Amino acid sequence: MTRFFRIYWTFASNQIKSNFVYKGRFYLFIIRKFLGMFIYYYLWMAVYAGTSSGSIGGFTRGEMVLYVFLSYTVSDIVMVGISSEIGKDVLDGSVALNLVKPVNYRLYLTFQSLGVMIYRVVVPSVFIWIGLEIYKVTELGMPVIRPLSLLCFLVSMLLSFFVYVFFDYCFGMLAFVTTYIFGMNIMKNAALNLLSGKLAPVSFFPPVIQEIFSFLPFTAMTYVPVMIYLGKYPGAEVLGQLGKQAFWAVALYLAGSLLWKKIEKRIVVLGG
Amino acid sequence: MDGNVIELRNVRKEFVTAKHYPGWSGAVKGLFSGEKEKKVAVDDISFGIKEGEIVGYIGSNGAGKSTTIKMMSGILTPTSGSCMVNGLEPYRNRKKNAKNIGVVFGQRTQLWWDLPLSETYTVLKEIYGVSDGDYAERMNFFEDVLELGEFMHNTVRTLSLGQRMRADLAAALLHNPKVLFLDEPTIGLDVVVKDRIRLAIREINETYHTTVILTTHDLNDIEELCRRIIIIDAGKKIYDSTLSQLKKDYGFRCSITFEWKDMPDEAQTRMLRDMGGNIGYRESDKGAKVYFSKKEISVAQVIGKVMGIVEVKDIQIKETELTDIVKDIYQNSAGMGV
Ligand SMILES: Nc1ncnc2c1ncn2[C@@H]1O[C@H](COP(=O)(O)OP(=O)(O)OP(=O)(O)O)[C@@H](O)[C@H]1O
Ligand SMILES: [Mg+2]
Repeated sequence: MTRFFRIYWTFASNQIKSNFVYKGRFYLFIIRKFLGMFIYYYLWMAVYAGTSSGSIGGFTRGEMVLYVFLSYTVSDIVMVGISSEIGKDVLDGSVALNLVKPVNYRLYLTFQSLGVMIYRVVVPSVFIWIGLEIYKVTELGMPVIRPLSLLCFLVSMLLSFFVYVFFDYCFGMLAFVTTYIFGMNIMKNAALNLLSGKLAPVSFFPPVIQEIFSFLPFTAMTYVPVMIYLGKYPGAEVLGQLGKQAFWAVALYLAGSLLWKKIEKRIVVLGG
Repeated sequence: MDGNVIELRNVRKEFVTAKHYPGWSGAVKGLFSGEKEKKVAVDDISFGIKEGEIVGYIGSNGAGKSTTIKMMSGILTPTSGSCMVNGLEPYRNRKKNAKNIGVVFGQRTQLWWDLPLSETYTVLKEIYGVSDGDYAERMNFFEDVLELGEFMHNTVRTLSLGQRMRADLAAALLHNPKVLFLDEPTIGLDVVVKDRIRLAIREINETYHTTVILTTHDLNDIEELCRRIIIIDAGKKIYDSTLSQLKKDYGFRCSITFEWKDMPDEAQTRMLRDMGGNIGYRESDKGAKVYFSKKEISVAQVIGKVMGIVEVKDIQIKETELTDIVKDIYQNSAGMGV
């Protein structure tokens, strides 16, 4: 077990280091991130300004502010894609490297993503959360988050991470079939923004659609941890939601293994 | 067969690609036609390789060398036939096979692009479960022979081609594999680095009886390293024997380079091209090169024939070098099947 971590942790820690090294990427990332969040924030504020009731889909204006910033930061952290990496590896043939060494390609990718995730928690999500918590307590008069909820939130985020990575691995398997994944990736991201609850809380949709969503893995990516943080699930339902996330993580993991088995035989390594 | 570390039997590999048509209208046509094109890269190849052999696997561009190496290292699955390495089918037992083999693809690194080189080796040490003692000993050896020290802490992506190749070779050997596959390990290297790479390969082979398969376009690699050579062309094996046998088989082939006094006219050229007696003829800048077999015709006869047609300024007789033999074989592969 320790050997396992010594091997794979190297890839994670190296991602953390190299993310810190590329300063240009660092600043661009921060700017892009804040720009996105604030555009989204002002959009919602305009929506709220147009209503008289002060609450939409069960969200007050203040809660919506929290939702906007949280869903944005959470999805940034947990949705660290690996399919584009797979696509790149397939296109330039470097996937061969992962086939002639006794490393597990999926674990290698997962740990790389884990490194990026850890980096993104520090830069700058954790500071945004502290800011949000202060805003929540002082402006909205809501209580400070309980340690247990915080713990559930963190566990939920970790599960979200696995759900997304394993989902994206399945998606990346397409790269082996099509050798062109870039365009599909854009479509996937657009769809996910909607389906995962990043753009709007799922509770805003008509009940039928909410019902459909609850059978799909996507809410397990962003929506669930955010709702846990906001305390929207009563007591036991939190556990149910965590269980659902765990289910999807396992299901997608198995689906990925199955796809890999199918595709393994068809692998064509380009170049050379 | 027993005693063979590597055993290929009637291995065939086909690539299926969507058919392409030329031009824009072709591109549109291709979109709708859905026609597939089949390309046979490796066609019914069989051979066995014993422990401790260093085998040169050569052939012209596109002959199917890399494809064969990829099948033996478990990256590609053969369309048909069987391929066994250390008693395993590589593509069925990829992870197990990976522990037994080392692979270097000269064209592309097998190292993690983002890691500093030193960390690459510590990761590999863990992956292969190399003991501390073995690790220290081998790293010492690599630093001696391959001189890795100067760029040990650089990130892989920043290494020069020659540095990267040395690093790649060391990475492929760290776990002391039973079989080493080298696909153009000296491509684009300077003479000194080439020598280092060859030295490392030879020493590893002598010390550990590592079986080595090597593809290359630099026949000096072959002369310096290999006792046996396998030649393939258009996916088919066309020669498989020892290097010395090859020289015996084809060494009677001889070439003479002529320099003309005056360029031959059309009639003369036609006569030169058609001297009969299996004499090959290739024009060069100011003259021509003539190939023939000493078994069939003597040097004097050939010179006599040529000088009877055109006036000659200079003559150079060349006994066959490996390069010529191989060139010859590539060019005439159709008629030379063994
Ligand atoms: N992925 C692929 N799809 C279609 N055709 C391929 C593919 N890979 C190789 N080929 C074809 O198979 C043939 C053999 O290729 P291979 O790479 O094995 O040649 P090679 O002997 O290594 O040549 P070189 O000396 O140029 O490296 C070539 O004609 C090549 O075009
Ligand atoms: Mg090749």
